Amino acid sequence: MQRIVLGLLLLMMLMVPQTTRAAALSTAPGGVELTNLRWFVHKDAVEGTSKLRLVIDVTGGVKVASVLSQNNSPQLIIDVTGGGVGKIGDSVTLDGDIADKVTFIKKNAAASQIVVDLSNAIDDSDYKVFTLPSNPGSNKSFRIVIDINKPVPKVNYNFTAGLKDKVIVIDPGHGGSDSGAIGPDGIQEKNITLAIAGKLKALLEQAGAKVIMTRETDVDVYGPNASAKDELQARSSVANDNKADAFVCLHIDAFPNPTVGGITTHYYQKTGYDAMLASSIQDQFGNINFPDRGAKSSGFYVLKHTQMPGVLVEMGFISNPDEEKVLTTPQIQQQLGQDIMQGLDSFFAQAARKGGGS
Amino acid sequence: MVSRRMIFAILFMLLATLLGGCADNVPASSTSSLSVAPNELIKTDQGQGTITPPASNSTSPSDLETMSVTVYNATKDAQYLVGEHHVVPKNDQPAKTAIELLVAGTKNADLVSVVPSGTKVHNVSIKDKIAYVDFNDKLVKNNNGGSASEILLVAAIVDTLTEFKEIQKVQIMVDGKKIDTISGHLDIGEPLGRSEKIIKK
Repeated sequence: MQRIVLGLLLLMMLMVPQTTRAAALSTAPGGVELTNLRWFVHKDAVEGTSKLRLVIDVTGGVKVASVLSQNNSPQLIIDVTGGGVGKIGDSVTLDGDIADKVTFIKKNAAASQIVVDLSNAIDDSDYKVFTLPSNPGSNKSFRIVIDINKPVPKVNYNFTAGLKDKVIVIDPGHGGSDSGAIGPDGIQEKNITLAIAGKLKALLEQAGAKVIMTRETDVDVYGPNASAKDELQARSSVANDNKADAFVCLHIDAFPNPTVGGITTHYYQKTGYDAMLASSIQDQFGNINFPDRGAKSSGFYVLKHTQMPGVLVEMGFISNPDEEKVLTTPQIQQQLGQDIMQGLDSFFAQAARKGGGS
Repeated sequence: MVSRRMIFAILFMLLATLLGGCADNVPASSTSSLSVAPNELIKTDQGQGTITPPASNSTSPSDLETMSVTVYNATKDAQYLVGEHHVVPKNDQPAKTAIELLVAGTKNADLVSVVPSGTKVHNVSIKDKIAYVDFNDKLVKNNNGGSASEILLVAAIVDTLTEFKEIQKVQIMVDGKKIDTISGHLDIGEPLGRSEKIIKK
């Protein structure tokens, strides 16, 4: 009995690794080879973030292992086991936005190396390398897929805690020829954003900050009826030209369904600090009875074209009759200013703890 | 007998380990597979909506051929998009048909159309996997000004068009010209790729 059991065990142990090996390295008479590279840059419609995707067709299953190298210039190196370099060629030149070039190096008939020359240094969290099985149904071979995010530039900031002497640029959304969203009672977004901006400015100045507003009155910043791009760039330039420590753009939201309400803080992660600034502010609105819609990554023009940490706060929905009414009251406008000021204070404290770099 | 029972127990444990190992090895054919979109074109079909019967009552056999398109509308809370499948008579401009269905709005009471009133599609052309979708100026003039609406509108246009495998990016245009933004928030001056995160899972 014991002998039978042991024999069975031995048999199973021998069989299992063989079936796996057979499954991994099936197909392709004459050896598995890398045959073709396709690539494209995917830019997320909402977040505005870019990702390079490289897809390499292989005639059979292979294993991949990847590592980042920062020697001389940044490279992503992928070792391919079980496949040689085939008709894919020696190298492919890319557009240089995220990566410059991909080189295929033959190790031996069943091993190769893929070297991606990166345009900028990336972190481990910025890339993924994985394989996809062949799918004869849709005429797809086995594939190696390499995804590389466009990295956030490594800018060194040395933020100090506190609001004293900080330069804050406030952008009251819309203005002049552009009313912004209009509520069911006719309240215009441009007037509410300007009122709250004025309250926020006074609070920040009391705390010792230097505040610059993109507009102090009901005017267009670039000029009446300018192109959307000129107008948005003019607002971004006020922050850039004044070398602001933080940029705060104020808006009121709108949506066709009048029951939707709440506050959202949008950011575009361009400095390593933008998400931190957004959550610092979004966390402060507990005293306002509007739903919390969270901090969101959004490819907004003024956030992409300013050089410092920035946010665009959507302070409720003007299309919601209840929120429209509340937003016209000086008490709520003061509370929103107070909350955003506290969010900025909390951000500088956190950023100072984080120290330089990102 | 005790020893035999123990041997069976050991055998069972080993079997379980080996089988578990086998199961773990199944995705090993897709090696260090990380939690990413399983499809290289970065798209999924999360459609769960109504089916429109073919409108044509013509008797010609070619007119009876149909095609299926997926169109995205917003959820009532302004947070997500949900795809609706439409089955329509086959034609040679399925991308334009999809956008026309998007502009026509939704009959699903749980969803909201984010396309401004009066919007019309002039044309959809495809070159080098980029779709150039050209609307009339109502797309900008009649928008309600909110960034929640703008985000959902841009994503609805891009996600509806990138359902087609020959479209990877979308350039939104008005009266034949590229536009930089619809209501002053999102930067849409360049061709945009699909947004997966905004589709309700």
